[in-house]
Amino acid sequence: MAKTSPAGDASTNEADPITKAALDLIQRELPDAVVASESGGKHPWIRVKPESLRAVARLVRDDEGLAMDCCHLVSGVDWQADDELEAVYHLCSYAKKPDAEYRKRTPKNDPWLCIKVRVPRGAPDVPTVMDIWTGADWHERETFDLVGIRFTGRKELRRILLPEDWPGHPLRKDWVTPATYHGVPIVPPEGL
Amino acid sequence: MPDDLYLDPELQQSVILTKVDWLKDWGRRNALWPMAFGLACCAMEMMATAATKYDLDRFGAGVFRASPRQSDLMIVAGTVTHKMAPRVRRLYDQMPDPKYVIAMGACTVGGGPYVKYGYHVVQGVDLVVPVDIYLPGCPPRPEALIDAIRKLQFRIAERGGGTLTQIDPRPALASGVA
Amino acid sequence: MSTNGRSTALTPSEAEPAHELHERQLLVGRDLRTEEMVLNIGPQHPATHGVLRVVIKTDGEIVRALQPHVGNLHRCAEKIGESVPYYQWVPYVDRMDYLAAMCNEHVACMAIEQLGDIQIPERAEYIRVIVAEVQRILSHLMAIGVYGLDLGAFTPFLHQFRERERGMDLLDHISGGRLLYHYVRIGGVKRDLSRDWLDELDAFLAAVEKRLPEYNLLLMENRIFQERTCGIGVIDRDTAVRWGVTGPGLRAAGVDWDLRRDAPYSVYDRFDFDVPHGESGIAGVLGDCFQRHWIRAKEVEQSVRIVRQALAQMPEGPVMANLPKSFRPAAGEVYVRGENPRGELACYFVSEGKDTAYRCRCRGPSYSNIAVITEVAEGVLIADLVALIGSMDIVLGEVDR
Repeated sequence: MAKTSPAGDASTNEADPITKAALDLIQRELPDAVVASESGGKHPWIRVKPESLRAVARLVRDDEGLAMDCCHLVSGVDWQADDELEAVYHLCSYAKKPDAEYRKRTPKNDPWLCIKVRVPRGAPDVPTVMDIWTGADWHERETFDLVGIRFTGRKELRRILLPEDWPGHPLRKDWVTPATYHGVPIVPPEGL
Repeated sequence: MPDDLYLDPELQQSVILTKVDWLKDWGRRNALWPMAFGLACCAMEMMATAATKYDLDRFGAGVFRASPRQSDLMIVAGTVTHKMAPRVRRLYDQMPDPKYVIAMGACTVGGGPYVKYGYHVVQGVDLVVPVDIYLPGCPPRPEALIDAIRKLQFRIAERGGGTLTQIDPRPALASGVA
Repeated sequence: MSTNGRSTALTPSEAEPAHELHERQLLVGRDLRTEEMVLNIGPQHPATHGVLRVVIKTDGEIVRALQPHVGNLHRCAEKIGESVPYYQWVPYVDRMDYLAAMCNEHVACMAIEQLGDIQIPERAEYIRVIVAEVQRILSHLMAIGVYGLDLGAFTPFLHQFRERERGMDLLDHISGGRLLYHYVRIGGVKRDLSRDWLDELDAFLAAVEKRLPEYNLLLMENRIFQERTCGIGVIDRDTAVRWGVTGPGLRAAGVDWDLRRDAPYSVYDRFDFDVPHGESGIAGVLGDCFQRHWIRAKEVEQSVRIVRQALAQMPEGPVMANLPKSFRPAAGEVYVRGENPRGELACYFVSEGKDTAYRCRCRGPSYSNIAVITEVAEGVLIADLVALIGSMDIVLGEVDR
């Protein structure tokens, strides 16, 4: 039996070099920005304070070693039990190519960097990174649309996928499916 | 026709009217112009039906029009969402009468795989526009779409007071009826 | 409005002489007032490849501002991913990018397998690569044919469907579906390839290799096609990277990047293939519509190479891992991306140890690829906007998910 990924046999405890480099950089430049971090395993991440998100974003983008020039994906996660919403940024770099050694060493096998921000559910305000990575524009609008995280300091934070008058944010865990929308039923028929 | 001499004038008129209707239906069913209206996955199969191998033109229904005002058949090919539903209705309203609708694919028949958790999917396009032919499948094969169009042609023929086999164009022309 | 009273901002030297003369005759002695007009294209429009709606502000023939409206095909894939077990979610992935269903399944299954630490048999990896590359050939053939259709050439569309039908039959024979397959499953693939099927595949690859130069002759060497695409809709390197454009759009901008080579997943590191990227030796300029089209044609050739190598290297053995009936991955997260025909598809899963995902998030490459036109389309002609949207080769099922 072959491994799922060519790097699957690496020890899961070893730190991911990209996440580790970013963590060192952030702690050196912005000492009190990092709240928590996980630098090993399949999905290493760095959680920062919402107010320092923009500074961290500029740092990892402009650093020559990391050069995270692309915001690959912005996701929102509703942690209902903690009464918090989380914005997750997956960044990647097209300026720097990973070397073959890196790929063999880490279990994650893909040179992205994950930055997270947690905000309370009652006041889900996260500063925008749209001016740092233009591509975050539509991802932020989608996250607002479906999860309801408000990105502040940007132009036209409108719904993008759902109609403007849609009730609520469907990917919140406590969202209840309305019976109808403009007279057309939404809830499934009996028996399904 | 000598029999007509024994009919009262009103009835004679109605006989002629029936024949004009028949002629109209003959034209309608053999020259269905579908609207090029692709919504989702099924549109790819609709394109495949119109393209090389299946060649929808053989059935007189291959003239895909980009405008609803020029078409009389709407093949709703793909998932109708709550955001799209008003537009589907508007396109239907823009089509001239008589108009026919084929609901192609499981999503348009009744919500398909999205019926339970897909909050943004309309549970069947018949909630928005009246449907003549339901065509299940996810997506239906091109043969199935051709069958649906044939079924629609049969239905138009039946409404005109006959069946498609009875008023097949070639024998009709040979006997001089048309 | 330009100062010389013309209705468009073209400088006289750029316009066709005859047209210019005609226009000048019309404008002699008149004080022509122009105003901006808002034009709505879509959601039902043949040039938008589905249900994209674009609102453009025009000044004569020139697009001054543009706002795409998406969401007309939002089918709640993420909500469904959080409501049904992992096994049941895989067929929904097919329906996101319905022209590249096998590639989608491949990436989604890899993500779920990484989440649950599932090892899959080596033969299954090879089969996955083979079907994903066949799917890439089919998807690019469709893109090449439909792009001709966008620009007014009907013949390549009808011609490419000959090979596409053959490839769809091929995938039909192993999965039972022409367009959407559910063939790649968590833990491997549904069933093994037969000897007959492999012969069919050989014949298909030979047919593609034979016909592809013909299609290129029909389109890329056509003077009208070149006039319509060269230098039109240029997306430079900086713009492409900033907006997150991936796939042929990124490579046409001159970025030499392909996940299959640079961060190889599955068994892609065992094959020898080239990554075509935009260069100045061919017609057009870096990052224009022509080069995006050219890259798709070149990628078809490389896919044929990969399939041939995979066929030669493929070991014997089982094609499905032994998995429990109820699959509950441990709590954790994964982020897995793969190179689809349209760009990088990524899946982000958060598991809490249940049989459904706590959070399921997908990045459809077309979503970013279409977002970029808000910036790029400013100043192009309306007819060139059609060429630009067509060259991005978007699939709306993936934009709206």
